[in-house]
Amino acid sequence: MTNVLLSNSLAYPILSVVLLTPLAGAACCFFIRNQTVLKLWGLLVTLMTAALSLPLWTAFDRSTAAYQFVEVLDWFPTIGLSYQLGVDGISVLLVLLTTLIMPLCILCSWKYIEHRLAEFIFAILVMETAMIGVFVSLNTVLFYIFWEAMLIPMYLLIAVWGGPRKDYAAIKFFLYTFVASIFFLVAIIALRVKVGTFFIPDLMAASYSFGWQAWIFAGCALAFAVKIPMFPFHTWLPAAHVEAPTAGSVILASILLKMGGYGFLRFCLPMAPQATEFFAPFLIVLSLVGILYGGYLALGQSDIKKLIAYSSVGHMGFVTLGIFLLNMEGLKGAMLQMINHGITTGALFICIGIIYERTHSRELQDNAALGMFMPVYVTFLGIFSLSSLAFPGTNSFVGEFLVLMGAFRSQPLVGAIAIPGAILAAAYMLRMLQKMVWDKSDGHAHAHSHGEAALEGLHGHEGEEGGHGDEHDHGHGHERKLWDLDLREMACLAFLVVFVFWIGLHPQPVLSVMDASISHLLEQVAAGQGALGAGTGH
Amino acid sequence: MTSSMLSPLALLHPWLVHPATLFILGALLMPVFCRAKLKNAALVIIPLLAFFQINALPETFGQVSWMGFDLVFGKVDKLTYVFLHVFTLMAVIGSLFALKVEDWGQHTAAWLYVAGSLGVTLAGDYLTLFVFWELMAVASTFLVWYRKKKKSMEAGFRYLLVHMLGGLVLLAGIFLKYRATGGDLSFVQILPSDAGLADYLIMIGFMLNAAVPPIHAWLPDAYPEATVTGAVFMCAFTTKTAVYVLARAFPGFEALAILGAIMTLYGVAYAVIENDARRILAYHIVSQVGYMVCGVGIGTAMALNGAVAHAYAHILYKALLFMGAGAVLEMTGRSKLNELGGLYGKMPLTLIFTVIGGIAISGFPLTSGFVSKSMIIAAAGEAHRTGLLLMLSLAAVGTFLSVGIKLPYYIWYGGKSEPSVPHAQDPPGCMLWAMAMAAFMCFFLGVYPEFLYRMLPFDVNYEPYTAYHLSETLQLLGFTGLGFYLMVKKLGPEPKMNLDLDWFYRKGSLGFMAFAKGPLSRANDWVGEVYRTIGLAWTMVTARALSWFDREGIDYVVDGSAKGVLDAGDRLRQAQTGKIQHYIGAAAILLFGIMIVVILL
Repeated sequence: MTNVLLSNSLAYPILSVVLLTPLAGAACCFFIRNQTVLKLWGLLVTLMTAALSLPLWTAFDRSTAAYQFVEVLDWFPTIGLSYQLGVDGISVLLVLLTTLIMPLCILCSWKYIEHRLAEFIFAILVMETAMIGVFVSLNTVLFYIFWEAMLIPMYLLIAVWGGPRKDYAAIKFFLYTFVASIFFLVAIIALRVKVGTFFIPDLMAASYSFGWQAWIFAGCALAFAVKIPMFPFHTWLPAAHVEAPTAGSVILASILLKMGGYGFLRFCLPMAPQATEFFAPFLIVLSLVGILYGGYLALGQSDIKKLIAYSSVGHMGFVTLGIFLLNMEGLKGAMLQMINHGITTGALFICIGIIYERTHSRELQDNAALGMFMPVYVTFLGIFSLSSLAFPGTNSFVGEFLVLMGAFRSQPLVGAIAIPGAILAAAYMLRMLQKMVWDKSDGHAHAHSHGEAALEGLHGHEGEEGGHGDEHDHGHGHERKLWDLDLREMACLAFLVVFVFWIGLHPQPVLSVMDASISHLLEQVAAGQGALGAGTGH
Repeated sequence: MTSSMLSPLALLHPWLVHPATLFILGALLMPVFCRAKLKNAALVIIPLLAFFQINALPETFGQVSWMGFDLVFGKVDKLTYVFLHVFTLMAVIGSLFALKVEDWGQHTAAWLYVAGSLGVTLAGDYLTLFVFWELMAVASTFLVWYRKKKKSMEAGFRYLLVHMLGGLVLLAGIFLKYRATGGDLSFVQILPSDAGLADYLIMIGFMLNAAVPPIHAWLPDAYPEATVTGAVFMCAFTTKTAVYVLARAFPGFEALAILGAIMTLYGVAYAVIENDARRILAYHIVSQVGYMVCGVGIGTAMALNGAVAHAYAHILYKALLFMGAGAVLEMTGRSKLNELGGLYGKMPLTLIFTVIGGIAISGFPLTSGFVSKSMIIAAAGEAHRTGLLLMLSLAAVGTFLSVGIKLPYYIWYGGKSEPSVPHAQDPPGCMLWAMAMAAFMCFFLGVYPEFLYRMLPFDVNYEPYTAYHLSETLQLLGFTGLGFYLMVKKLGPEPKMNLDLDWFYRKGSLGFMAFAKGPLSRANDWVGEVYRTIGLAWTMVTARALSWFDREGIDYVVDGSAKGVLDAGDRLRQAQTGKIQHYIGAAAILLFGIMIVVILL
């Protein structure tokens, strides 16, 4: 298969540059003493990486499904291992998502991280390289190296800068993902033995018997299902999210979870099409359960971060649902939903981080009735909440719309079951929003003269009932200071708002990037199933 | 009316042709208006602009291709025009009524809500319709929440969930339609003989917004809890937008005729026994919208004309009534009839306006209700639907009883000579002017029905002021008045809660939350710990066993060499500088060394 590769149209190896810039930046971290300079350095490196990745968007040839910007270098010729990078319409979007989200991770940690700053910046930058590496690798060994390499900085992010139960959460996260990826390793080795190559396009082109496919699929799917996470492999996620620092949660939600979806699209569908067809109904059922179960649990949470974490289970359920519908709308919707979830949920975690820095609590009760003091903040929160519940005009609407359309096109019953999930999303997001913006039933507010404000009497008071209110002051709660967003926080969120509406109102540019690749992927799946009809391969 | 004349707004930007854009822009700029002290001017000018703008709409505009769908943001015919006319007029009145509200958020929510309604009315395809439909649902929820009472928070929440559910049923219908028609989503009439599952799902979605029982409970649940000015907007737009879409897509569906007739009685029955002024009015919306739904269901030209005319008239008098009850609530803080009374000397103008609304809704001759309601009843007769005719007439009696007489009686008299709220007075000027405008329209339409009839979608061959109609109506109303006089004791308001179908979802949502919070969460935590209780426990046992082996078996061998390691460690320790960059340097050198060895091999 030679026509699957398109040599780099740029004069320099852009993928290697984007891949290695953060790593090089990370290496310099330990030579900087000044804390502010260190943060600025981290920001500069991530911004530079983002800027360097922009040609991937502008120079990307949208008319072909071939891998582009390809780089091939011999590495270990003795075992047939090369350094092969390339992106297609599926991975290029995820690379861009990664490079654009990372500067925000530095920005949102500006004040939150106080100790071991150099190590923190180092971990974030190494993380960036590893994540980009996963998306640009064209051979299984590179893919696996980056895949595992991600675990270490992520583990550290949780275990060093995390909350009170950080050790527990970090180990849980590590064990779950690590154990699952061992099966993936086995699958990779099996493929090497069978086909004699690590090169992903060649692995896709080879054909396997159904039995082989089933085993390959199972091995890969387990690793990806844990990462996404699919029900019932999701329990590590809430723990990790709750304990991780804001930056960790953002990385986890925005990018790490996408690796699972990406893995399905890159490995399971093209390499094991018959097995995909066979397992699809089961995975659709699991997706539906995830959508409803995640949404339902999100409704029951009083910890905001946990709420968003469970909502991720639901949202990613839409992703896997879209993938295993195996039609054009479903796959495009799933891809778009991954991008959208990265934007919206990332933004929500940044929002939670912002409020946590002020109230030092993530309980809904402690963060009620912020509307009066932080109007800018609640405006952003409102926009992202609406986006999260897939309100028309926002990005998530387009994604969920496509997935649901795909569902109704092939299996209306599946669509009908998924729809209550969307209602649940409205329920838990608006419950949170309403409480955080208004809910006066738990406390009363007093404005300070300097534009700052304090909220008193936060715990366990029922507000005035009925009637027209005479205000009682229950002031024996703790006092806290609230101030609205500063420029840095606003910049973070405003940047993401642009994407919420851009994709929501005009998704064509994003969809056109993935169009050819997704069509090609569907052809691969269909061809594989055709082989099933002709016989059972070899 | 749909002339090719271009408005100056269209020259400014093609999108400004759409009246919803004006409201959306106005809503978004509202904080700026408030800060720049332009709020009052904006609240008057922008709705007026929209009101005139609708005369300059081209027949089709705003065609956009979006993800392979052909969206049509504007499609105008006579049916659209009459709804646009009353919606924008209502926006003028409602914004004027809300002029004194300082909180910009309420104005923003109200205008986004209006924009949603206008967007639905102009939509030429189901996707555009859906988008504006959802905008309406969310924006109007904020009109409830802005009351900022615990009860409004809860009611708003239920309201939103019900509407989200309705919206998604609608969306499911749209998807199925897409599948059935192969991509054609244009919003046009459906014949009862062609209707499939998709169409019925869409119809249910529409019916939810029209508050057709048994999916009506959200309306009397939420409207009484909304803000004073918000309720005025809400009573006008949601249900009437639903009537519009039903009239556009589903005229002549038998189910609508029957359900509509049931609605008229159902709403009235609850209105008669209710105590809260705004709850009474909310049930009357159900009843009055019943006339319209019934008219749509009958489906003849006259019935459709009647439904549309009644929607037009209803928006104005119902808004007037909500303004009256709202003014009382605003000035006294009360809305329960048994807590009110004796206010005739304190709020005389409000009394007059409310009574005008009351007689208009009851269909008194010379008011708007007479020329529109009688048209639907006559259409039922003309179509030989005697059963419907009877139900609609009966509902008219109940309407007069509860709104025409009971509501004003208990608020302003109630047998009390002393005012129940001593400090009460008529509301500020802007509210009175808004009421005056609506009251004027109630009479104007009643006296010059031609003004309304000219706008109707079909030619009108109906004369409301015949001797027969007049005498019939007056007799009915006269006997009702007599009945009230005789039974005034029995009809006295009681401070109780009447049970309606909303009980199910009030309780249902509680149970739902309890389950989500309690057992399900616990089960999930337990499952999450399984790997710890089972997996880890086993691992720990084996790990301990292994560590024993490690200690007693391997260590014995290793200990011998350990001494050497310790010595080496001592030497290494002396080489340590404590600087992390040195370690990294060393590690890097080591790594390079290994790589060189590997590559050379």
